[in-house]
Amino acid sequence: MRHDFLDSHSRLDSPVHRLPAGIKLASALLFVFLLVLAPLPACVPIAAVLVVVALLSRLPASFLVKRLLLLEPFVLGVAVLTLFQPHGIEVFAAIVARSTLCLFTMLLLSSTTPFAELLCVLKRMRVPALLVTTLALMYRYLFVLMDEGERMQRARACRTFERRRWHGWKALGTVAGQLFVRSTERAERIYAAMLARGWK
Amino acid sequence: MTTAIEVKDLKFRYHDGTEALTGLNFAVAEGECVGLIGPNGAGKSTLLLHLNGILPEKMDGTATVFVHGKPLNEENLPEIRRSVGVLFQDPDDQLFCPTVFEDVAFGPQQFGVEVLPAVQRALVEVGLTGFEKRSPHHLSHGEKRRVCLAGVLACSPRVLVLDEPTSDLDPRGRRELKALLRQIPATKIIATHDLELVAELCPRVIVLDHGAIVADGPTTELLDNEALMLAHGLERPHIMRHRHPH
Amino acid sequence: MHIPDGFLDAKTAVTTGVLATAGVGWSLRQARQKLPARRVPLLGLAAAFIFAAQMLNFPVAGGTSGHLIGGVLAAVLVGPGAAVVVLTSVLILQCFLFNDGGVTALGANIFNMALVAPLAGYTIYRSVHRLTTGLRGMVLAAAFACWGATVLAAVCCAGQLALSGTVPWGKVFPAMTGVHMLIGIGEGAITALVLAAVARTRSELIEEGAPATLRKSYREVLVYGLLLSLGLALFVAPFACGWPDGLEKVAGALGFEHRAAEKAIIPAPLPDYGIPGVRSAPWVTAVVGATGTMVAFGVAWLLARALTPKEER
Repeated sequence: MRHDFLDSHSRLDSPVHRLPAGIKLASALLFVFLLVLAPLPACVPIAAVLVVVALLSRLPASFLVKRLLLLEPFVLGVAVLTLFQPHGIEVFAAIVARSTLCLFTMLLLSSTTPFAELLCVLKRMRVPALLVTTLALMYRYLFVLMDEGERMQRARACRTFERRRWHGWKALGTVAGQLFVRSTERAERIYAAMLARGWK
Repeated sequence: MTTAIEVKDLKFRYHDGTEALTGLNFAVAEGECVGLIGPNGAGKSTLLLHLNGILPEKMDGTATVFVHGKPLNEENLPEIRRSVGVLFQDPDDQLFCPTVFEDVAFGPQQFGVEVLPAVQRALVEVGLTGFEKRSPHHLSHGEKRRVCLAGVLACSPRVLVLDEPTSDLDPRGRRELKALLRQIPATKIIATHDLELVAELCPRVIVLDHGAIVADGPTTELLDNEALMLAHGLERPHIMRHRHPH
Repeated sequence: MHIPDGFLDAKTAVTTGVLATAGVGWSLRQARQKLPARRVPLLGLAAAFIFAAQMLNFPVAGGTSGHLIGGVLAAVLVGPGAAVVVLTSVLILQCFLFNDGGVTALGANIFNMALVAPLAGYTIYRSVHRLTTGLRGMVLAAAFACWGATVLAAVCCAGQLALSGTVPWGKVFPAMTGVHMLIGIGEGAITALVLAAVARTRSELIEEGAPATLRKSYREVLVYGLLLSLGLALFVAPFACGWPDGLEKVAGALGFEHRAAEKAIIPAPLPDYGIPGVRSAPWVTAVVGATGTMVAFGVAWLLARALTPKEER
């Protein structure tokens, strides 16, 4: 499946991967809170701990760096606005440093914990069933819908010769519309399958 | 021989009024394996959905389906859903949990059965031990089908209803599924276009067309009847052409 | 519009967290009571659809492409209450799997994109749709509502950033609002295209999404309205009214303080940097706002015309 960019490295093996999901989630949240609230010098030891965790997790450095670079523009985009005030550069640097370390923390969490395990943690924390079910079904059918959408786009591309952008947009809109209609029909079939195995 | 499923004068109309089933009558004995064949649109899937009460959406009193002697109504629904296991055509519709284990465990959880032994047993039966933590989207089509079957078997149904079990399977997947089905002792009703499968697994076959039963009898007889097969959008399977009368 | 970690201070993160929890909690409670069982799987699939639709690349110019956020689209397709649940799920997945949006900012992101966008957007949609009819009217209403929802969510976002002392209001408000006035047009266009496509094949799906009788859900409207107004009052009003230092005093009294370390690096948002943008040219904001709204409405109308065949007026 091509959509390995999601949940790709979460099933590797390492001491970090083997930790229970609840502990990883709690630790990640703790780190993020510390990074956001603690004085700036305190972020240095935290960064060191994160690097150690990254090494222990046996995640390829290239993967981590690439993902961080991919996510960094979102941080920079908002942070740029901080430059327009007195001492703007220091503010900018501080915020970018904290934000990037938080990104790193959450990246380590998502790369060492399958989403399904996070859902189990949510269930244990008594998050309302409807939200957990929606999250679970969304995650499960994400790839199915993306594949369907891709197939429909390709099929349409085979039959369209229009180069004008408006028609390209219109075609995409039609694909998305069809995708939604098919999704509602699939939801009905899933409902029947859930009923068949005793769901109330 | 006890009757597993009995259908008496089953009628059904779609929302737009078209008649899908026009008064079906048949019975399936315990342990039998019956093939259900017919052209597209004959009503096979609609019939199957009536066997565990998914259709009709509202039960209005007179029961037309009886499972192990019990009428299919609101009261008996939970028990019947447990004893009649349905395998749907598209495994992606039926495999709706994030991992294999959770999906196979879904049925036992709903029915209050002890989860771990049921799941382990079911996975062994379909030959997928070790697949517990796998995600559905990383499985092949055949593996997904087997997980769905495990999910149904985990509830220990007495009747197994299958809708196009071999569709989209490669030859190996088909062989594996056929071998699996042979081993399962439950009563089986298999709706399919795969006439070779019917010839190999089902001693009895029901032919459905335009919502009515047009033939019900021994497979060897009906599948060999070329006129009958062609008249209802089917054909005589190759396996029949090479069969000798003795 | 996803705010990353580290841009919101404690008081803003907590406040948005409380509002988000209240709003989503209320939607879940309503859904548990009123949503028929057969529509439960639809929420999951709708969330997957919004996510998948966000992946579609609508080419804009020179290599850039536009993407859908989906607030109003979700609200029209599955109903406003369900849309809250759907969009919250999308945001949670984006935060934990995509690392798009910080976990401390989840409250704010949920408030902006899963509460303000679908609810305010749906209100605009219904109001405009009441005045227009037919397929064309629906598309027009939806496109304009998208734009309005996007801009409103951006304003809340700007307010949250300014309130945290991260960026001065005078800079973040025009930047965010300006950019999102353009993004909103794209969002409106994409939503209009998708809704038109759905309406052409299965128009009953769109009607199904609407709550049965709006009159019955007075309580729902009240609760959501209260929540959104509270948010606007907390995040936007102080700046619009020019009393940020007043709010600081309140925050201090309630015990919320700026990050201790940052006091050395960032001076507390000096009134002179927040207020000049507001005091000297409030009419600029008003004119830009009004022009933007009219342009958006015009674009929405053109879209509706382009998407519906001449017979369906």
